[in-house]
Parts: sequence; structure tokens; C-alpha cells
Amino acid sequence: MPSPLKSLTLTTLLALALPVRAQTGGELHFCLHGEPKTFNPILVDDEASEHVRYLTGGVLVRLNRQTQELEPSLATSWNVSRDRRTITFHLRKGIHFSDGTPFRSEDVAYTMRLLMDPETHSPTGDAFRSGEGTIQVQTPTPDVAAITFPAPIAGLERLFDQVAILSARSPKREMAVLGPFYVADYKAGSHVLLHKNPNYWRHDTQGRALPYVGSIRLDIQRNRDIELLRFRRGELQLINRLDAEQFERLQRENPAVTRNAGTGLDAEELWFNQTPTAPLSASKKAWFGMKQFRKAISMAINRGDLCRIVYAGFAKPAYGPVSPSNHFWFNAALEDPKYDPQGALRLLAQAGFRLENDILQDRAGNRVEFTVVTNSGNGAREKIATMIQQDLSEVGIKVNVVTLDFPSLIERITRTFDYDACVLGLVNTDLDPNGQMNVWLSSSENHQWNPSQKTPATAWEAEIDKLMREQASAPTEKERKAKFDRVQQIASEQQPFIYLINKDVLVAVSPSVVGAAPVVLEPWGFWNADTLRLGPAPELGVQK
Amino acid sequence: MSFGWLPTFVEMPPSRNKMRARIQRIVGRLLMLAAVCLLGGLLSASLVLFSPGYGVDERELDPRLNQASVEAIRNSHRLNSGLPSYYGHYLAGVLRGDFGSSQWLERPISSLIKERFPVTAKSVLFGVSLAWLVALAISFAGVFFRGLYFDISTTLLSGVFIALPAAVIAIFCVYLRAPVFVAIAVATFPKLFRYLRNLLNHAYSQPYILAARARGISPTRILLHHVFPLTSPALFALLGVSLAVAFGSAIPIEALCDSPGVGQLAWQAALNRDLPLIMNLTLLVMLITVAANMLANIAHERAL
Amino acid sequence: MNARGLRVISAVVLCAIFAVGLFAGTVSPYPYAKQFRERPNAAPSSTHLLGTDSLGRDLFARLIYGTRVSLLLAPAAALVAALLAGILGGFAGLVGGWCEKSILAATDLSMALPLLFVLLALRALLPLDLSPVLSVISTFTLLGLLGWPSSLRVVLAATKGLRNSDFLLLARATGCSRWRMIVNHLLPNLRPVLFAQFWISIPVFVLAEATLSMLGLGVIEPLPSWGNLLRGLEDISAVSANPWRLAPLVLLILVVICFQMILPAKEETA
Repeated sequence: MPSPLKSLTLTTLLALALPVRAQTGGELHFCLHGEPKTFNPILVDDEASEHVRYLTGGVLVRLNRQTQELEPSLATSWNVSRDRRTITFHLRKGIHFSDGTPFRSEDVAYTMRLLMDPETHSPTGDAFRSGEGTIQVQTPTPDVAAITFPAPIAGLERLFDQVAILSARSPKREMAVLGPFYVADYKAGSHVLLHKNPNYWRHDTQGRALPYVGSIRLDIQRNRDIELLRFRRGELQLINRLDAEQFERLQRENPAVTRNAGTGLDAEELWFNQTPTAPLSASKKAWFGMKQFRKAISMAINRGDLCRIVYAGFAKPAYGPVSPSNHFWFNAALEDPKYDPQGALRLLAQAGFRLENDILQDRAGNRVEFTVVTNSGNGAREKIATMIQQDLSEVGIKVNVVTLDFPSLIERITRTFDYDACVLGLVNTDLDPNGQMNVWLSSSENHQWNPSQKTPATAWEAEIDKLMREQASAPTEKERKAKFDRVQQIASEQQPFIYLINKDVLVAVSPSVVGAAPVVLEPWGFWNADTLRLGPAPELGVQK
Repeated sequence: MSFGWLPTFVEMPPSRNKMRARIQRIVGRLLMLAAVCLLGGLLSASLVLFSPGYGVDERELDPRLNQASVEAIRNSHRLNSGLPSYYGHYLAGVLRGDFGSSQWLERPISSLIKERFPVTAKSVLFGVSLAWLVALAISFAGVFFRGLYFDISTTLLSGVFIALPAAVIAIFCVYLRAPVFVAIAVATFPKLFRYLRNLLNHAYSQPYILAARARGISPTRILLHHVFPLTSPALFALLGVSLAVAFGSAIPIEALCDSPGVGQLAWQAALNRDLPLIMNLTLLVMLITVAANMLANIAHERAL
Repeated sequence: MNARGLRVISAVVLCAIFAVGLFAGTVSPYPYAKQFRERPNAAPSSTHLLGTDSLGRDLFARLIYGTRVSLLLAPAAALVAALLAGILGGFAGLVGGWCEKSILAATDLSMALPLLFVLLALRALLPLDLSPVLSVISTFTLLGLLGWPSSLRVVLAATKGLRNSDFLLLARATGCSRWRMIVNHLLPNLRPVLFAQFWISIPVFVLAEATLSMLGLGVIEPLPSWGNLLRGLEDISAVSANPWRLAPLVLLILVVICFQMILPAKEETA
């Protein structure tokens, strides 16, 4: 038998035998929801690859997903210079990569040089590119590395949570890793098999080597219903991020397996096309450009119903870009607008709209009607759009809902700008709002409602530009927060994005997994994979 | 004096002509096959290129990427030459054995197809075999047990199966933990069964076969020596059609059952507007479909 | 109970379903889009005969309006496909030679092209502010325009058979023009084949629309169709909890079986 197949069979046999035994070893089995495109940590830009990187990569500084504080990982300590351009790491001694190559500061230098190569385009690298110029890395001793950036970077230490260190000299290149697991087998379209890294540096408080489990098998499974079926049969031990309906049903049958980690960072939002070059009628451009119109729409949407019906209550209404579970950055001083259709009508009347025979008309007598596009294949988003359709019909506005496949949708919102309004989700992986810089800068491509502006089109967008730049270079966290609070306030007044809901992070964990504590930060269910154990597997009690 | 060699001399030219004509026909057919496939590849390439959403990448929406990265992503999808020269390059590559690499998966296409084709081929072959077995069994039973109720119940059965959309079949198969080829068999069975039943009924009601049965000739002998030669061209045609139908239903079934075959690849490639992959897969499907139809035509002509 | 009796019953059932679809406005108790948000996912009751869906819309109303969409537009698409197949197949069969070979090649080509992809692309090209009704009509028209290959071979075979028939030979001998031959002699004789193809294609188009909608590319919200309603089956465990969600599937199967029953079996040979 070829070697990977042999080890796979052996592992499977072991995995079948082990759960009866004590608490170490065994195989944790769960799913990735897409194909991992690369195992090179520098180039990772999709969720599946990021999850594999989280399990295999060793980082200098780790953000503890539970406490949301930074912890020493491969670096025992670090300090950032006063001008926030240089960071110096003191590295742990005596550590080796999974293939035995010793870990030294030159590996850090090698990784950073690869990351900052101008030919490399990845989200991890771009986060460090705050200005023009190259970085300098000094490695005076094998356990000290000092990195100097051309311009100050906000939240510098936290960014190193995403940088997995590569070996400069190992013949296995990116497959030699410092994390708790390494990739033992990969069959495209089928699965990724991770084995325990025998050289992992971390030990538990009693000195035992981590990780406890012997291997992790990640099946590539796009279909969520099949995943749930397999979980119920006991084939899988963890489901990361269930749909609300599935969670509700699972909770009714077997509450012990379901965990609600709390309100997540992701938001669903609706925005209107305010691009001046868009092929829209003049009346539509006028409506979408009016602050009162956008605010009225926001007031006319019943977010409570959205949470209750689309997400079975496992979501909270959202009114701003920051989720309330982001304790530090959330601007608690802002008032939450209430669902108020009458108030919306009053606001619209102020802007010159009038309601006649249940039809809203603008000043010129045009019927207020527009189309909301969203992507097909996302059931929750389609339901949100349909519910908004009914909510707005109660203030006399006719809304058409069109679902398009994702590439066509992206073409419309980034190239041709041939759309009225769009409902999409914003995925926030980072607590720090600096990660959203490209959404708020008016010159950016990702400034969805009016991208790539040469000069800011409105005074408030100019103010947001100024504030975002200032917060990136502000000296203290408190000053940064003050500036970003003001950005949130402007966003609430102007409603360029009409935020709808923040959904909860819903995870299912089999009782045979000991130590699972799902959190709201990615990767949610298995952030502590190296301390998870497999106990004896009791019946799930769900026979479906 | 022996004139034994004369007849052979006289006979050779006609048989050589016949062979030449046959070779010409085969070569003509192969050329036609090649031409149609090439045209199909070009057509599908232009379809993808001019379709809405070509050249955009989901990653453009990632706010963590800066301007230069987004530009780099956009450029990677742009065709740097016109479509004909791109197609020409691609064909040159095919002749060398290099099928290009997938934009979306970033892996060489030949390895992708090599991994996935056996999965699909296995499901399709097993599925078609299962469908044929069941269809043949029920059709023969129908011939020998004549009766209205049997007729009605089998019509109902095939009607139920024909009415299930491929998507629903796939879902039921996943739920019942049945392997993928069962879903393909269920999708192929109804049409196959109806045609097969008509064919067999028609064959067995031929007067000379009725006479043979009346005379007491054994059913096996009737089947092998009379019915089979009569129906074989239509059977081959049906085989070709059922293979094509099974292959076509493999795409939604594999996509929904999450089976790592060529069908799922094709569906994902279409959703992601992956030009090289779609071109290759279209060529593959065309090759199979046209070849199957060509075989069916040959079998048909042979019978006449 | 004989075959003819069954055919009559099937016809009656089909007509009844058609009538319900046609007069959906009067039969249905509620409009199909109205969301009763206080009672999502409700079980069948006296107020909601088939319960409500996840957004609180009455499923019985949606089933009736969905019948209208699926059952009235599928024959239209089937008609378009049959006519196209008739014209192309007739022409190819009559002229023969290279014309026939190229039309056959075109048929193979269009059968091999990823149909779903073509529909995806065409759907995305439609202007966004098309009303749902117009978008449904255009979806079915597209299905019809793309659906001719499967019928073409049958028509071609029939035409070739007719081409060698005596009456056509006689017509040609008396100096009939080609066009007149097609219109006055060929088409009327092709009518039974075309009708059989039309009849067989109707359930095929109903199913095609159902599959498209299940993949999210068919009829736009909030307009219901059988495919839209079948999307509720995707979560199979929900169905065992709410078995009334199978109603659209049962209706679909019933309609397709009725179609199969009505057509005499001998007219279906390939």
C-alpha cells in the first residue's frame, strides 16, 4: 500500500480503537466548508486555508480567542518602539520545526521578507503595508528579531497573530511547521489529514506534551445539511457555525451538543448605489443621495422580525459597523433607532415624498420603486431581502428582489454599477477597525456605495477619511477609540450602510469532545484545538 | 493446368475497395468528431468570456487587500491576447499533453481530471448498469406476465421516478446513505424503461416470434436467436442515449451529494467562471456525447 | 377499469389542476406574498390548510399560485421547443446530406454545452428591474429555446421515414415546389410526432424549472413555483418534522404521471 494510505488506515484503526481508552490520542473529525487553496501560510486568503493555517502554523504572538488578549507564543516577550515602527521579539529557545529543523530568528526574517515581497498579494501581507518602502529585519542573535517598518502601523502586535513562521532552511519548505499539527495527507475534494506535531513547543500545566489528540481529519464538505446528518450519526464531532434553523432543531433534540458562543462580529447590511456614473435614472440617484431617505428606510425595516424569523432569535439587530461583542471598539454612546414606520414616513415627508393611495411618490410624482440584489445560494440573505420587501411595502415603497450568482453580482457592484441596492454580509475577522480601513476610505475600491473616488464626494466622507487616517497614526488606544467612535457616529447619522443584524456564533460539539469552549472570534469552535481531548463517546441520543 | 488463382485475382479489387471505403468512412467520422469537439470548445470559451461576471473574483471584495493586490487579482483574470490566439495556444498545449491550469483551484487541470474522472466514471457505469438490469428485468416480466395491472403499476413506478427532479433524487440518496450511483440509476431508469418496454413488446409481438413461441421453442433460444438480432441496433442506440443521460444527470447529482467527481467540478467551474476548466470539461463531455451518438448511428446503419 | 378509463381519469385530474391554477385568484384564500410573521413554520390548521413556510407565508396559497406558474408556462416552453425541433428536424431530414450532418452536429454541440451555465449567464444578462412575471416568462422562453435538441432526433428520424414515402415521391414527380412540400405535405404528417414530443416535453420543462429554482436560479421571489417550493426539501430532517412540505412534490409526481398516462405508449419509440 502506498505510504499515505497506510498511515491513513492505521490512524483510522487507531482512532476506532482509542475512544474507549483514556484521554489522549484519537482523531478529531470535522469539516472544512471549502477547498483549501494553498498550504503556504504567506498566500492564504480563503477561510478553509486559514483554518488549516491556524491548526498548523506557529505564530510569534497569539491572540487568545477567549480573553481577547495577546499571549506569548513563539516569542516569550516583545516590545514596540515609541514611533511604532519597530517591534522586537525575544524568541523561545530550543524549539524545532515538525521535521526537526531548529527554529531561529533567521526564520522570522525569512518569513517577513517573503510576506513583504511586492509580488506577494495576500491579506496578511497587505495589513503590514502601511507605507512605501521596504522593511528591515535585524537578527543580532538566534533568539532576537527586530523588524522595522517604513511607516507606523496601528495595532502592530496583533497583526502577528496571522503570521505563521516558515523555516528558512528546511527541505520541506512550507510543510515544516511550528504549530500543534502538520499536514500528513491531502486529497483534493475529499479531506485534509493532520497529524500531531511531535515537536510542538507547548506543554500543559502538568508538563504533558500538547496537543492531546493524535490527529485531526478535516473533510471537505460544502453541503451543510449533509454535515449535520453526519454529525447526528456520530461521524463528525464538531460543526463550526451552524445555520440558525439547524441549530434550533438540534437544540430541541439534544441541548447538550449545541453551544451559542454569543453575538458574532459579522453583519448583514443593505446599501444604496450612490456612484455618480451608475446607469440609474436621475430620480433614483436623487433618492439614494438623500440622507433622510436612507435613514427612513433604516427606520422602516423591522430588525426584530429579521432576527426572530430568519435566525430563529439567534441574532441581534445591528445599527453600526462594530458588533456589541467587540467590547473595546463598540460605541455604546450611540442610540439605537427603533423600528418606526410612522417616523419613517414623517422623515420622508420632510424630504418631499408623499404617500397617496398606499403608494409613495417623490416630489416630481415618480413612484418610489427600486430593486435589491443579493447573491443566490444564501437562504438567509434571500429571506432578509424578501422581508425587507414586505416592510417597505408598508410605507408604500415597491421593492423587487433579484438573486444573482456571485460573479455576476460582483460584476454589477464593482464594475458596471448597474444596481439600485444590495444586501450582502460583511465578514469581520479582526476586532481592530483598522482592518476596515479600505471600506471607509473614499478612494478605496471597497468603499462599496461609491468606490474609488478621486476626491471625497461629500463633506462627511471627507471627515471619515480624515478620522480613519488619524486613528491609524494616533499614539494611544484611547485616542484611536475616540476617533473611531466619531466615525461610527457619522455612519449612524448618514447611513451609507444600513446595518441589519449581527448573527450569533452557533457551534455543535459532540459530548465525546472534552474542553471545547466556542468563542465569537475565528476559528470559533476549535480555537483551542491543542487542548481538546476525546473522551469515551456516549450515544448522541439523536437517531436521524 | 490450374486456374485456382484466377478467382482470387478477380475478387481482390472489390474487397480492397470495400476496405478503402470503410477506412475512408472511419477517417471521415473521426475528422467530424474532432471538428465538432474543437468547435464546441471554442464556443464554450467564448460563452464564458462574454458571460456576465467573467474576470471578477470574490477576493476583490476582501477589505484587507490593498489597491495593488486588487489590481493584481484583476490582471490575473484578464486574457492578454484575443480569444482565437488564446484558443490556439491552448490547443497547442493539448497536443503536448498540457491541459492548462485551473484559475480557481490553481492546480493543473490534467491532475484534477485524473483524480475526478474515475469517480464519475464509476458512478455512471454502475448507475447505468443498475438501471439496465432493473429495466430489463421488469420489461421481461412484463412480456411474460401480461396484464393490465402489471402494466399500470410499472407505468406508475416509472412515472414517479421520471417526475423526481435530479436534485430531489440526490437529496433522498444522501438521506438514505445510498451511494451516488444509485441516484444516477434512479435518474436514468424511467426513460430507459419506457423505451425498453416498448421495444421488447414490439419485438415479442412480431408474428414469427409468436409462431415460434406457439411451436414451443424454448424462450432462451427465442431470445438469443430471434429477439436479440432484431432489436440489437435499437438496443445499442439506447445504450448510447442512456450513457449520455446518466452523464448529464451526474452534474446536479454530484454537486448536491458532494461527490468529488467531474460533475461537481463542472458545476463549481461554471459558478466561478473558470475559463480553462470549463473549456476542458466541455471538450471532455463533447467527446463522450458525440462518440456515444456516433456509435449509435453506426449500429443503426449497420442494421439497415 | 381498463386503459381507456385510466386515460380519462388522468385527463380529468389534469384539467382540474389546470383550472385551479388558472383561477388561482379566486381559489386561494390569501395572496402568495403576505407574510404572517406571528406564525412562521406553522402546522396545518383551519386558517392555513398546509401550514406556513419559514417566513410565515401560507403554503396552500403558494402551492396554487405556483401551479399557475409551473403548469401554464411549461406547455408554452414545450411548444417553442417542439416547433423549433420540427422546423430544424424537418429541414434536415428533407434536405439531407451536409445540411443534415451540420444540424446533427449543432445538436450534439448544444447538448454538450453546460446548459446550466448558459442559463446562469442568460439570467444574469436580464435587466434587473424586470417584474417577476416577466422574468418567469423569459426563463421559460429560454428553456424552450434551449430545449430543442432532445426532440430533434426523433423528428429527424420521422422525416427521413416520410421522405421515402410514396405520396412525397408523387408530389415531387408532379412538380411540387420544395416549400409547398414542406408546408402542405410534410408538416401535417409530422404532426403526430410533434404532438407526441410536445406532450412528453411538458413534464420535462416543469422539472427543468424545478431543478433551476432548487439551485436558486429560477423564479424570483416572492413569486412561487413548484421549484421554489421544493427548495424547502433541501433540509431533509426538517421534512420529517413537517411532512406537509412534501405537498408540491406529490403534486408534481401526480401531474407527471397523468401526462404519461394520457399519451399512448406506442407513440414514444425513440
